[in-house]
Amino acid sequence: MLVPPLSLYIHFPWCIKKCPYCDFNSHALKGALNAEKHEEKYIKALLTDLDADLDAATKDRKLVSIFMGGGTPSLFSAKSFSILLDQIKQRIALDANIEITLEANPGTLEHDQFEAYLESGINRLSLGVQSFDDRQLKTLGRIHDSNAAENAIQAAKTAGFENFNLDFMYGLPQQSAEMAVQDCLHAISYSPTHLSFYQLTIEPNTYFYQFPPRLPDDVQQIEIQTALQNTLNQYGYQQYEVSAYARPGRECKHNLNYWQFGDYLGIGAGAHSKLTGDDSIVRSWKQKHPETYMAHIKNNTAYKMENPVPQKERLFEFMMNALRLKDGIKLTTLQQRTGLPKNLAINALQHAINQKWVEITDESIRCTESGYLFIDEILQRLLPES
Amino acid sequence: MSGRHFIPHPSRIRNFSIIAHVDHGKSTLADRFIQLCGGLDQREMKEQVLDSMDLERERGITIKAQSVTLQYQANDGHRYQLNLIDTPGHVDFSYEVSRSLTACEGALLVVDAAQGVEAQTVANCYTAVDLGLTVIPVLNKIDLPAAEPDRVLQEIEDVIGLDSNATLSVSAKTGQGVEGVLEQIVTLLPPPRGSENAPLRALIIDTWFDNYLGVVSLIRIMDGVLNTGRTRIRMMSTMKDYRVENIGVFTPKPVNVERLSAGNVGYLIAGLKEIKSARVGDTITLTNQPADQPLPGFKKVKPTVFAGLYPINNADFESFRIALDKLSLNDASLVFTPESSQALGFGFRCGFLGMLHMEIVQERLEREYQLELITTSPTVVYEILLNNGEVLFIDNPADLPDRSKIELIKEPYLIARILVPQDYVGAVISLCVERRGIQKNIHYHGRQVMLEFAMPVNEVVVDFFDHLKSVSRGYGSLDYEFIESRPANMVKVDILINGEKVGPLSVLVHKEHSQHRARELVSRMRKLIPRQMFDVAIQAAIGAKIITRETVKALRKNVTAKCYGGDISRKRKLLEKQKAGKKRMKQIGSVAIPQEAFLSILQVERD
Repeated sequence: MLVPPLSLYIHFPWCIKKCPYCDFNSHALKGALNAEKHEEKYIKALLTDLDADLDAATKDRKLVSIFMGGGTPSLFSAKSFSILLDQIKQRIALDANIEITLEANPGTLEHDQFEAYLESGINRLSLGVQSFDDRQLKTLGRIHDSNAAENAIQAAKTAGFENFNLDFMYGLPQQSAEMAVQDCLHAISYSPTHLSFYQLTIEPNTYFYQFPPRLPDDVQQIEIQTALQNTLNQYGYQQYEVSAYARPGRECKHNLNYWQFGDYLGIGAGAHSKLTGDDSIVRSWKQKHPETYMAHIKNNTAYKMENPVPQKERLFEFMMNALRLKDGIKLTTLQQRTGLPKNLAINALQHAINQKWVEITDESIRCTESGYLFIDEILQRLLPES
Repeated sequence: MSGRHFIPHPSRIRNFSIIAHVDHGKSTLADRFIQLCGGLDQREMKEQVLDSMDLERERGITIKAQSVTLQYQANDGHRYQLNLIDTPGHVDFSYEVSRSLTACEGALLVVDAAQGVEAQTVANCYTAVDLGLTVIPVLNKIDLPAAEPDRVLQEIEDVIGLDSNATLSVSAKTGQGVEGVLEQIVTLLPPPRGSENAPLRALIIDTWFDNYLGVVSLIRIMDGVLNTGRTRIRMMSTMKDYRVENIGVFTPKPVNVERLSAGNVGYLIAGLKEIKSARVGDTITLTNQPADQPLPGFKKVKPTVFAGLYPINNADFESFRIALDKLSLNDASLVFTPESSQALGFGFRCGFLGMLHMEIVQERLEREYQLELITTSPTVVYEILLNNGEVLFIDNPADLPDRSKIELIKEPYLIARILVPQDYVGAVISLCVERRGIQKNIHYHGRQVMLEFAMPVNEVVVDFFDHLKSVSRGYGSLDYEFIESRPANMVKVDILINGEKVGPLSVLVHKEHSQHRARELVSRMRKLIPRQMFDVAIQAAIGAKIITRETVKALRKNVTAKCYGGDISRKRKLLEKQKAGKKRMKQIGSVAIPQEAFLSILQVERD
């Protein structure tokens, strides 16, 4: 197997409060983020974590991207990111065109912070706007209103962030296609380089799972989705993944690397890694709860679990990522990154090909327009028998 | 296995059963007896020794009767042999209960001091009294905070008509008062009647298959003597002869003995190949010196509820057959014949004693043999009188002949005896009437009321008991007895999926209920059939006429919105769950139907 590009993911597990739809590894803060209790300790833990991960497998490799996600990373100060990024640079080489993204939530940001973020080396922002409709923001349990969202975007731009993404949700309670398009046009008016539109889905272990809101049915969902796609397309945002749209050349490098089955290191509570060796692929993940994570790192007790990805699971894992890409992926990439012969993939996907869900042209494999709506159906058939 | 065994004089033998409702503590009390009499040491004492099957342990129901022979040193200075004959604890097994009771001279009536008397206990108690047994009432669980001993004592007097003054109060759980029960067994119960000099008559109480010993029967010697040593014996119902291989008693460990004589209870092993050769209730005598008359009361129990069982995976058919063969080794009342259906492939039509029996068999097949099964709607046996005078017995709606050929359909009835507190009488009567019940009797016993209804079995087998429990807040209890078949205006409702009739989903319902039932059935199925890649039409028809239709709309998309960064595990789990769900579905044509849709016929809400 060829060694694929390498990214670094850093997880920040705290939020002001937990949103009712959220099933990520985020923990509501009781009170404010404490500089000594959380920030310094956590940054220190992250670096210890990184040191332990940097070994033969990552030697002589460059990072193509860094993504600081959460939780709400913007609860941390610019100073912390500055220290963190400096320390990373001392430990591993960075690609000249590296993308360094910070996830930030309106309501946790002050104006002058953005400039300091930019100075620390962060060159891309991802703002969790979710909606400009105050009623929807309330339903979604967000701590900000549309005003705060607008101010945050404006401040980021003024500070000099020209490469930024805005996160939105659609398929919200009582939302019509017109309302979604309104949100979308409002977002486009800020000329972001990237927009993400996620359908609100109800996940287990969330408040909404226990008390489900009434959502539009799937006929309405498709109507909303199609209206969004048309609007975004009209304004030069191309869909390149199920939920991601970008101006040409502004696709998120970090996420593309996941979907193209690249390698990544994950540090921080609950972060996941995937690394390719000579003939192995290994997934690993860290202790999930932030307090336990920090304690285990401090005492040097086990905080990392790992699992090799056996041959028979690689096609499924690869497709699970690659089929999300609108343009699909080259069969040669499949061969290089899984070590599997391309015929194996073609055979395994025969059902989907017959259904006209998947097509292979120009040595690339991708979903058809109808298949793009049924990726999970395709994937179920690729699951290895246990 | 052989060992020295205490052989008492018949006047020092007491044979008794315990009559109790499920959960009223019969098994725990039996365990205390075994402990007190030193039948097992502490190490061997598993909780609830007598309920040996896992399933029984879990459900707290005794399915197969077992028994134990105990030695008790009484206060009068003598040593007694106490034979406790276990009885199955459910209404489906009432015949087995009556045979167990026939083998005894007395019975303990165990009543939960918090729950009070239940219909089935009353029924079994009446059976015991009818058979001439002495009944000793015992109030159990008096240690519970919710215990109401005075109220329950009054019930024992009012409903059952036993003098409650002599009632013992115990807690089998803590052991309080248990020794007193043993004393009463010795002083109040008569010793066994029967003469050692008469020709042998031994009653078969139970028969089961043991992997090492083969067919084993539990027997009570009513008259005469049975010796070991290749003695030739005869089953009086079949006149077939066998040779005795071993006889013995359960202490509760099996201990071989040389002879069993009038009054004794023990086991018999006689080289039988299948348990059907030694039916419960049959009389065993000696080949060379046979008794004139068998013991009264023998009958061959017939299944009353039938359902088709099909493996979800057609490839499992052979293992399914093997599993049924194995189960029937130990369950003489389970009958099965192969059947096939276009929709479900190959399966078996199985006959059961009742709904509980059906559930137990189904659960054992799934649990012990790892089979995934579809069970079709259970039906009773209908008697069909044809125009040409022919009579058919139909246990499968799919076999119903064309209406034009049918002169008359008769359906089986039962008498339901329901014991319920006064407050719920109205609700219970409405329920019975709704189920085409005809009121026969009503008796007031203090706060409790005993209702008697003649009801179509069809209306009881499905979910009557659940509804009875719900309209009476759990207080209502039920006992039943089958009576004759009566004419009924039944029609067959067929279910069509995407225009294709699915035979196993057909049900026979009374004409008056047919429209209503069909609509409910279809609406319920719509909720249970998951959306597929195309529209699925569900229709109900009587004959060629479609009465109702609903549609499961096609799935428009199935794609995860957010695949979160590097963590693929959660999405993978979701996909695995979806896939596993599909595997448990039966493919009918191009439509995948979950097991629950078949069972939905059992659970149609009627309010």
